[in-house]
Amino acid sequence: MEPIITISQLTLLLLSIGLFVSTLEYLKKVEIFSVTGLSTWNVMQLRWYKNNNHFFNHLLSNIFTVRGISLLFIVRLIALAGLFLFPFASPASWLLLGILLSNLLLSSMITFYGSDGSDQMNLLIIVTLFLCTCPFMGSLNLTEKGLWFIGLQSCLSYCVAGIAKLLSHEWRNASAVRDVFSTKTYGSAWAAKLLNKHPVLNFFLCWNVIIMECLFPLCLILPWPVASLFLIWGAIFHLLTTIIMGLNSFFWAFLATYPAIYYINHQMPWHLF
Amino acid sequence: MELNIEHIYDLLISSVLIGWFICTLICQFRSSKLSTFIKSHLDCFGLVPLWTFFAPNPGKKDYHILFRDKNGDEIISEWEELEITEERSAFSWLWNPEKRDKKILSDVVQNLVSHLPYYRNENQSTNLIMFSMPYIIILNVLSHYHRRTNFSYRQFMLAESSGYLNETGPSVILLSVFHKIQ
Repeated sequence: MEPIITISQLTLLLLSIGLFVSTLEYLKKVEIFSVTGLSTWNVMQLRWYKNNNHFFNHLLSNIFTVRGISLLFIVRLIALAGLFLFPFASPASWLLLGILLSNLLLSSMITFYGSDGSDQMNLLIIVTLFLCTCPFMGSLNLTEKGLWFIGLQSCLSYCVAGIAKLLSHEWRNASAVRDVFSTKTYGSAWAAKLLNKHPVLNFFLCWNVIIMECLFPLCLILPWPVASLFLIWGAIFHLLTTIIMGLNSFFWAFLATYPAIYYINHQMPWHLF
Repeated sequence: MELNIEHIYDLLISSVLIGWFICTLICQFRSSKLSTFIKSHLDCFGLVPLWTFFAPNPGKKDYHILFRDKNGDEIISEWEELEITEERSAFSWLWNPEKRDKKILSDVVQNLVSHLPYYRNENQSTNLIMFSMPYIIILNVLSHYHRRTNFSYRQFMLAESSGYLNETGPSVILLSVFHKIQ
């Protein structure tokens, strides 16, 4: 099998694990889409209905019920499971990718409040792989461009996050990590108390994140043994945010971009010649 | 060069990816007319990401929705909290469905807070905020939550607290009027 295909498949499989868990979590919380829930279509539709199109109003009102949304999530789970059964870039796999993409786009109409960076990365990867691996018109050249796009978006995400933190007074004075960890939404009592007790650790974490995120794009061009240190740092960073902050879907979504970074790194001239 | 359907498709998708990457670059950091146009007119499905996680303003507060009821005779109940901000379990690194409620609430409140200066502008009436989507979301949830038969009006309060370290006391973000609930 071509290395490009293997790497694209690995990207998709890593993403699928996270998206599978995330979809199960949505199913557990499907009541948020009921008429009494935080994401009810009765209210969310206000964002979409600028023109009073009765056909779409009726259709979407039927889809975005608790039963309809549950069905949407079950179809997504089946499509994700199916991706493990068929070879990547085969017509069956591409069809499943298309179902998954339509499913995500449709559900994004009602989940725009509450979706996070991992949802954005998942959607970005799935759209890219769907467009670039069309078995009828795609080519290895286009799949390669897709991997470049995913890798560059991943590096951009770290770099933008790093620069935004560098511009933030709260990150520069090293109070941000402790303050975020002290919230019940994203933190943990033990982590907040630990950082409150050891300001040096707080300083180290804030500046470690700022510096590593800003420098992350270097992993595209540095020799692989050095570049891999950035990916190891990234994996540990996402693992810690998963454990401490409960951001489990970020781990899989961003880890899924690492094969693309590996591929780009190995396209650099010092690897090719 | 022979221009067949594969080449055309390749060119088309390559252009889409380049355009998408440029749009992503434009939409990071400061909002401009172009980024507002992209976000509001081109990006219906949220395909243009914003990568500034927890920066420049890290989420340092927990948000709370509280409510109280009255009937026509001005009998007012105690403030009660909508149960959303609960502590995470030991397995939340693997299984964390509660994060969705919290993220929705956090997004809704932040959206509402970001609109407050606009509505408090001298040319605007603060009451207009009642027509904003985040306000309607909260009101819709509360109008169905823990209904009592003898109360027909409900008021809500948005508040924020500083979590585990509790360095600053809770504060009020918004106090609504009493809304008739049916």
